[in-house]
Amino acid sequence: MQPERQSFSAWLATGQALAQRLRQISRATGWMDLLAVLSTGYHPDPEREQQEPTYYDYPALKEPVWRWEIVWYFFLGGLAAGCYFIASLAALFGGPEDRATRRAGYYLSLLALLPCPLLLIKDLGRPERFLNMLRMFKVRSPMSMGVWCLVSFSFFSGLSALIQAARDHWLGHWWGAHWLARLPQRLLALPGMALALFLGGYTGVLLATTSIPLWSRSKMLGAVFISSAISTSSALITFVLRLSAAPAAALHKLERLEWGALLSEQLALLAFLRGSGRAARVLVGHGPAEHGPRFWRFVAIGGLLLPWLLQTRLLLSRRTHSEADTDGMASQRPEQKRVSLSSLWLSLLVLIGGYFLRRTIIEAGHHSSRDARTTLWHARAAR
Amino acid sequence: MAVEAARSLPGVLKQLRTLLEPLRKEEPLPPQTAVGFFTDTSLCIGCKACEIACKQWNQLPAREPVWAGTSYDNTRELNAINWRHVLFIERLGRHEEGSHAGGGTAGTVAAPTELPFFNPDRWLMLSDVCKHCAHAPCLEACPTGAIIRTEFDTVYVQQDVCNGCGYCVVACPFGVIARDALGGTARKCTLCYDRLKDGLEPACAKVCPTDSIVFGPVDQLRQQAEARLTQLHERGLREARLYGADDTILEGGLHAFFLLLDEPAVYNLPERPSRPSRHVLPASFWTALAALALGLFGIFSFRRR
Ligand code: SF4
Ligand code: SF4
Repeated sequence: MQPERQSFSAWLATGQALAQRLRQISRATGWMDLLAVLSTGYHPDPEREQQEPTYYDYPALKEPVWRWEIVWYFFLGGLAAGCYFIASLAALFGGPEDRATRRAGYYLSLLALLPCPLLLIKDLGRPERFLNMLRMFKVRSPMSMGVWCLVSFSFFSGLSALIQAARDHWLGHWWGAHWLARLPQRLLALPGMALALFLGGYTGVLLATTSIPLWSRSKMLGAVFISSAISTSSALITFVLRLSAAPAAALHKLERLEWGALLSEQLALLAFLRGSGRAARVLVGHGPAEHGPRFWRFVAIGGLLLPWLLQTRLLLSRRTHSEADTDGMASQRPEQKRVSLSSLWLSLLVLIGGYFLRRTIIEAGHHSSRDARTTLWHARAAR
Repeated sequence: MAVEAARSLPGVLKQLRTLLEPLRKEEPLPPQTAVGFFTDTSLCIGCKACEIACKQWNQLPAREPVWAGTSYDNTRELNAINWRHVLFIERLGRHEEGSHAGGGTAGTVAAPTELPFFNPDRWLMLSDVCKHCAHAPCLEACPTGAIIRTEFDTVYVQQDVCNGCGYCVVACPFGVIARDALGGTARKCTLCYDRLKDGLEPACAKVCPTDSIVFGPVDQLRQQAEARLTQLHERGLREARLYGADDTILEGGLHAFFLLLDEPAVYNLPERPSRPSRHVLPASFWTALAALALGLFGIFSFRRR
């Protein structure tokens, strides 16, 4: 007990020192400016922007009506999709050690999905008319496709979780439970996975199919959101499995997937910022109406780069370890404890980053709509 | 008991029918000639009669007056309760500056006789309205089908169907359509659909004292606009241009188009807005690519020990 507590306080102390240092760095905003210019490739020129004509700087677009409900819907919808995707991967391609992943994934998917329809209905101007969404099947409208996807995905997510529950004997021992347990979960997984990928990505396509400069200039938001759906979901499943002491081999696979998803998210985000140029300034700058401080701290660095680097180190050290001793049970035990605490933090960082990714993009979209100069530039400059 | 049930049964049925009403597919009405507006800003005197006529005819509520502090325009925007909005661009001092963006002011100073009402170097006015786009992004986005194209080729929001999802609000490239805080639905100019049905011209065009707002068949209006433009160019008003009269904007043009006296951005109008529904394919492509890569990587992750 004693050595562990010591290591914990030492860990706390280094954490505090690090936070202190970070605060010092972040008080100076120069680094953020540099990052903003590097990532968007746009050098702000206030003088020239001031010369551009507008009508008294009144907004040229209407502000979006979407607020926190949509942020949470995007986040939870992404989790529901990603968890289903990972659970199905485990069911289709995994071994016996991945059973825990499959179970956690299907349950978490349904749990994350449950609030989604409520959030969407609450967000409507006339919530009692939500069924009108099902009057149409409009391929050109991502919102229409998204609603249909949500409806059909709910079926797969719900049924898969039910089958899982029946197999885990949570539903008792009557004929219905036996019948459910015998349903082909793996067969459901194929169409379910396709729908899950659609659900995780369409939200980005939906934002891109608007006139808001930040959302629509580059067409990469869908790729960002689907990557984030999978990175946050693997973080969530890893988190839960770690608490329930799952086999290291299963965790290892999840970590590898998370590493890949974080990498793809970073690439997509970079392509998004580059492609947006001036339109992304509102997301990465640190002016009064810009969202850079939150974006860089919680999303780009705290939620993506840092966990990705940590994950890389973890995977590399795992590899050398597993090469050093093949059975390694006895020697790895004490070390495993310490690793798991830091990897719990790692999962949390990724989850927080995923939430703030949606939040900053939605909120910056509001500011983007108010910025007449950038809107008019966006409609003028060649795409 | 029995009587009550008998009385309430038709009531229940009726309620059920109104509930299912939005699901019924109606036959489209036989098409009429496409109509629209030609708003000639060189004739506008900024009287705002159109704003008022629109409010009166459509029974739109008034807002508490707020001084904008920037110009005579206190309406400031089109929204759920302002379906016409007169921009009032004051450019006092533009003369002296000379270096203003667009540069060539000095060469195009209009002599007082070129325009009967005002000198465009001092003021510009424009009565803004929903453009009734030929390919309307709001209509393309709407997931409920509340926004329809009428038999007059105008864009109309069915208030009993709209559920206020807000997708049209961000789809419109002109910042026209807005969700009403009171009604919860999206609202905008109807091009006086009710008046059109009765063979009347829209209220704003009817009331406009200088005929800056002209209502008519779109083809005819386009010819009229071309003629007016040539006339203004002949008189030396080089800055005059048409906005939305040809097919370039949003790939089909606007059924409510304008004659402007400066570049569109001066009026907060986007020069070449992109059509949001064109983004669906490229955005889906990149999403699918990322999904494919992640799927393969996932299979690889779970197969290998
Ligand atoms: S101007 Fe806006 S609201 Fe009007 S038809 Fe076009 S997209 Fe719709
Ligand atoms: S056409 Fe009718 S609804 Fe539209 S702006 Fe004119 S008066 Fe208002």
